[in-house]
Amino acid sequence: MKKTSIPLVALSLLVGCGSTLPPKELVDARAAYQTAAKGPAAQQSPAELHVAKQSLDQAERTFNEEGDAPVTKDYAYIATRKAQLAEATARAAIAQKDREAAERDAQNLTGEQLRKAQSELASTRGNLEKTQDQLAREKLAREEAEKKAAQAMADLQKIAAVKQESRGMVITLSGSVLFASNESTLLPAAMVKLNEVADALTKGNPDSNITVEGHTDSQGQRGYNVELGQKRANAVRDQLVARGVASDRIKAVGVGPDRPIADNKTAEGRANNRRVEIIVEPGKR
Amino acid sequence: MRNVVVGLVLFLVACGSSIPPPSDRLASAEAAARSARELGAEKEPRAALHLRLASEQIDQAKKLMADEDNKRADLVLQRASSDAELAVMLAKENSAKAEAEKAQEIVKKVKSGR
Repeated sequence: MKKTSIPLVALSLLVGCGSTLPPKELVDARAAYQTAAKGPAAQQSPAELHVAKQSLDQAERTFNEEGDAPVTKDYAYIATRKAQLAEATARAAIAQKDREAAERDAQNLTGEQLRKAQSELASTRGNLEKTQDQLAREKLAREEAEKKAAQAMADLQKIAAVKQESRGMVITLSGSVLFASNESTLLPAAMVKLNEVADALTKGNPDSNITVEGHTDSQGQRGYNVELGQKRANAVRDQLVARGVASDRIKAVGVGPDRPIADNKTAEGRANNRRVEIIVEPGKR
Repeated sequence: MRNVVVGLVLFLVACGSSIPPPSDRLASAEAAARSARELGAEKEPRAALHLRLASEQIDQAKKLMADEDNKRADLVLQRASSDAELAVMLAKENSAKAEAEKAQEIVKKVKSGR
């Protein structure tokens, strides 16, 4: 009893100062760890259980330092998942052992029985191996596609400003690079650049929908600018289609002066606002 | 000069904008979610739930990264990974159980067939 009095004092101090109750996430995490520690995980998956404990300790530390903050809840959430992971790992290991036991059991059969059991077991395993093989092949193909996409992305970043936004990947090309002032015919240098963009798009994102937006500054009539934006977006779209981007997945929109990214009061801001944005929507899967 | 650099670093740290986008964490969370899908997580209700949570949190993290809230995105991605890894293991558990039951059934059938 005496031994516990110091921690008790410390605890009551903490509770007194911290003044916050543990959030529900932390209460859940503690319970999840207790359940896992009492179950088969202690025997079957001690390493995962240890990770779960470390994760819970981190949540407790964060709670002591930051109280009932969002970060405490995050770590508690993760700790709960780690405890559940330890339990699931243990259950999977047990199932694996059950199967091995059944296969050993089959070896104790005799003659005809043995042959029959073996052939049936072999056929189920054959099926499993086949699906494993299929999975491996699919994985390889996907990795290949991802590598291509990453390369295409790297190529793009060399020639244009690329930004990941919630509406998708946005490639911004400066107006002065593409068009002469007030014109909607592409400059020769722009065609070279757009061809590179088209190559990256066909290689990296062959299934995504693409929107080309023509933006202008706010000088002059809005209607005129929207029309100019539309014509410029059309020109860019046509060039991309000419270079092999499928025409049914690309559309052109004239936005005009409506969505500036910089101050229209300065020359530099206006130059930044005159631009074409190519938006590659996230692929659907 | 050096002071300026130190000052700038401190300023950036103070503003929180110096944290680089957690691209590695995003990649590993997405990889874990992909593995879960490959292992058939969508067919097992508990695994499917955690796979869905992982996907939602990955989307949320991407939005946070677009808004340059990298600190928050990093934590959300850690949450996503923990869900995706759990989905992987639940799917594995499910198929291991199915295999075990199948093997036990075969042995039982053969034994009783004598």
